[in-house]
Amino acid sequence: MEQFVVTTIRLSVPLIFAGLGGLFSVRAGIFHIGIEGLMLAGAFVTVAIGSALGSVWLGIGGAIAVNLLLSWVYWFLIDRLKADMIIAGLGLTTLCVGGTAFLMSAFFNKRGSMTSQVRLPQPVVGPQEGLLAYVSELSLLAWLLPLFVLIVWLLLRRSRLGLQLAAIGEYPYAAEAAGVNISRSKLYAMLITGICCALAGAELAVGGLAAFSENMTNGRGFIALAAILFGSLDPIRTTLAGLFFGLANAVGINSQIYAGASNVPRQFILMLPFAATIFFVTLRGYASGRNAPRVS
Amino acid sequence: MTRATATATAAKADAIVRCENIAVAYGGFQALQPTSLAFAPGQIHALVGQNGAGKTSFARALAGIVTPQSGRFFINGREARAPTVRQVRQLGLDIVHQRFTLPPSFTVAEALELVSAKKHGGAFFSFNALARSWLQELKAAGLEVSPRARIRDLPIETAQSLEIARALAGHAQFLILDEPTALLSPSGVERLFARLRQLRAQGVTLLVILHKLREVMEIADTVAVLRGGRLVLPPTPSVQLSQRQLSGLIIGEMPAAVPGASPREDASIPAARRGVQLAARQASTRQSALEPALAGVSLAIEAGEILGIAGVEGNGQRSLVDILTGLMPVAGGSVHLLGQDVSALTHHQRRALGLRVVPFDRLTQGASLSLPLWENVTVCDAPRFRQRRRLWLNIGAMRRAARAALQQFDVRYDSLEQAAGALSGGNLQRLILARELAAAPQALIAAQPTRGLDFRATQFVWQVLRALKEGGGGILLVSSDLDELFHLSDRIQVLRGGRLLGAFPPPFDRRAIGDAMIGAQR
Repeated sequence: MEQFVVTTIRLSVPLIFAGLGGLFSVRAGIFHIGIEGLMLAGAFVTVAIGSALGSVWLGIGGAIAVNLLLSWVYWFLIDRLKADMIIAGLGLTTLCVGGTAFLMSAFFNKRGSMTSQVRLPQPVVGPQEGLLAYVSELSLLAWLLPLFVLIVWLLLRRSRLGLQLAAIGEYPYAAEAAGVNISRSKLYAMLITGICCALAGAELAVGGLAAFSENMTNGRGFIALAAILFGSLDPIRTTLAGLFFGLANAVGINSQIYAGASNVPRQFILMLPFAATIFFVTLRGYASGRNAPRVS
Repeated sequence: MTRATATATAAKADAIVRCENIAVAYGGFQALQPTSLAFAPGQIHALVGQNGAGKTSFARALAGIVTPQSGRFFINGREARAPTVRQVRQLGLDIVHQRFTLPPSFTVAEALELVSAKKHGGAFFSFNALARSWLQELKAAGLEVSPRARIRDLPIETAQSLEIARALAGHAQFLILDEPTALLSPSGVERLFARLRQLRAQGVTLLVILHKLREVMEIADTVAVLRGGRLVLPPTPSVQLSQRQLSGLIIGEMPAAVPGASPREDASIPAARRGVQLAARQASTRQSALEPALAGVSLAIEAGEILGIAGVEGNGQRSLVDILTGLMPVAGGSVHLLGQDVSALTHHQRRALGLRVVPFDRLTQGASLSLPLWENVTVCDAPRFRQRRRLWLNIGAMRRAARAALQQFDVRYDSLEQAAGALSGGNLQRLILARELAAAPQALIAAQPTRGLDFRATQFVWQVLRALKEGGGGILLVSSDLDELFHLSDRIQVLRGGRLLGAFPPPFDRRAIGDAMIGAQR
C-alpha cells in the first residue's frame, strides 16, 4: 500500500510539473502540443550535461537553457511567423524525439538508452524497513512539488500576469483594450512552460531512475495536456488530475506485477491508464457543458 | 462654418485634447483621412456619423489601440508620441469601448484589476483585499455590484457602468465613450446621461460617439460630424445646430428625392410565381448580446418585388435575416415562405423550398475560403449531383455546373481548383451570387450585397438583383447604403431598435428615411 502511494506520487510528479507548466501557455490560448518534446529534451539534456560535467544541477540548468531556446523558437514560429500552433507544436515534439536519439548516438555512442552518472538527491531517508520504507524513493523535486503548486497557483490566480494570460486566452479583445502586450505575454507564458518541462524531464530521467532512453516520455506530455483540460485550466484541479493519472499509471504497473501469472495480456494492462484518461476527459467534457474550457 | 472655425480656434488655446492630421488606415483601406480637431475641457462632446464614417477609428487611435498612419496628438498640452494604451492612460485619457472589454469568466474585482492602471497589493494580491479595495472604488462611483460577481452574469447596463467606473478609477480626465447607448434600454440611457452630466460637473471632459440625433441634442455641448472618413463639421456648439442640419451633414447633401425602381407589371410575371413569397408575422426574438431584440416585426415580400430594409447597423438587421433564413429561432410570431409556415424548419429545409441568401459577410458566412471554387459553387446543391443509387457524387457534372455558373456571373479565376480565398472581394461576391442565383430562386435575402465592392462590381450586383426581380423573384434587400436602397427597392422600411417602421413608397424622401433611421424628430 505504501509502495503504491509512493509509486503514484513518483509517477505524478513529472505529469504535474509539465501540466502546470503547460497551463501557462494553455491559459494564454496556446494549445501547447510541444510539451511532450520539451519534456524529452529536458530529460536528455539533464542526463547528457549532468553526466558530462558531473553535476545534476548543471544538467538541470542546461536543460532549462535548452528549453528556453526551444520555447523561444516555438513562440517565434507561431507568434511572429503565424504558424499553426498545433502543427508547429507537433514539429517541436517530433524534432525532440528524433533529436535526442540522434544526439545520444552522436555524442555518447549509445543506442536505445544510456545511464546517467548523476541523479537528483533524495533528501528524506526513511526507515530501511517498515511502513515508510518507500519515501526515500522520492526525489527533491517530488518534495518541492507542494511549493511549486503554490507558486503556480499564486502566479496564475493571484497576480497580474495570471489575469493577463487568462484574458488573452479567453477574450483577446479585453487584453488588447487593457493595454496588454499580447505577444510578449505569450512569450513569457511559453518560456515558463519550457522551464517547467525541463524540470519534468529531469524528474523523469534522474528522479527515480538514473537513465535516459529514447522517447522515454512516451506520451506523458500529452497526458499532461489531458490533465490541464480535465482540470478545466485551474492549477489545483490540474494537480489533482495529474495525481489521478499517476494513480491510473500505478494501478497499471501494480496489476502488471501481481497479475503476472494471470491470462490478462500485459499490453492490455499497460493500456488501462490511457483508457482511463480518455474516459475521464470525455466524461469531464460531457458533464461540463457550457463551462468547458475553451481552447483554440 | 465661420462660427464653427472660430470655436475650433478658441478651443485650440486651452484644449484638453488636440489632434493634428490624425489619419488611420487598415491595410489599404483609409478609414480616416487626415483630421485635425480640438476638444475644450469640461464639456460633453459628441462625435456623429454613419457606419464607416471613421468614428471608431478615430477613437481607437486616440486611445492608443491602433497606431495612426500619420499625425500627432496632444493631451493636456503634452504630446503623445506613438502612444500605447498605457501611456495614453497615464496622460489621463481613457475609452469605454463599444464592445465590452471585461473578460466574461472573470470576477468583477479581477476584471477591474486586469485593466486598472494602478496595482492593488504587491506582486501577488489577496482576493479579499482586491475585492475590498475595488468595492470602495465602486461605492465611490455609486455602483452597487459585488466584486465577486462574474462579468458574464451582469446585466448590460451594469457591465457598462463598470467600464466607466474602471476608467475613472484610473483618474481619466478625458473619457471617450464609443456608442454607449447602442445596447441600453431608454431608461438605461437616461441613467447613463445623468451619470455623464455628473461627471461633467466634476470636471471630466467626455467625447461620446452617438448615432441618434435625439440623444446628441439631449446630452452634447458640442457636435462634430465625420462622413466617409472626413471631418465635415468640427466641434460646434449644439445649440447652433438643428437636427435637420445635422442629419444633412451626416448623410450628405443629395437630391431630396430619388426616383424609385420602375413599377413592375404584374402581367409579365408568370402566374405560378405571384403572391407573397416571404413573410414574417409579428416575429420577435430574444435579446442577443449584439443587437436589440426584434419586437413584433411583420413584413411581406411579393413576387417581383424588392423590399428594402434601411437602418443604422446594429438595430436588428442580423436577427431579422437570421430568423428569415432559419439560423435563429423566433421567440414569438412566425415566418412564412411561399405561403407555408416555416418557423420550425431548419435553414437547410428552407433552402430546399427555394430560399436563397447572400449573407452579410462573404468571408465568414458566404464562402469557405479554403475550399476550391467548384466546391463552393456546388456545395449547396450537392444532392442534385448524386448518381449510382445516390452513393456517389458526379464530380464531373459538378465541375461543369460550377464552370457554367462562374461564367454566367463573370467570375475571373485561374482554375476551378483554386481556393475561394484567393478571389478578390468583388469576384467572391459574384461567386456567391452564382451559387445562390443559379436556379433563379423564388425568394432571396440579400444582406449588404455590395459592401466593400467597387463601382463596377456594385453595378453588376444591382443588375443581377434587378434581373431576378423581373423574373418574378421576391427579394429582401438589407443595406445601410441608402443609395443602393433607393436604386433598387420598390418599397423601403426602416428597422430601428428591433422595430420595423413605416413603409416608404417611391419617390423616396432621403430626409424622411434618414430621420427615421436615426430617430430624429422634426
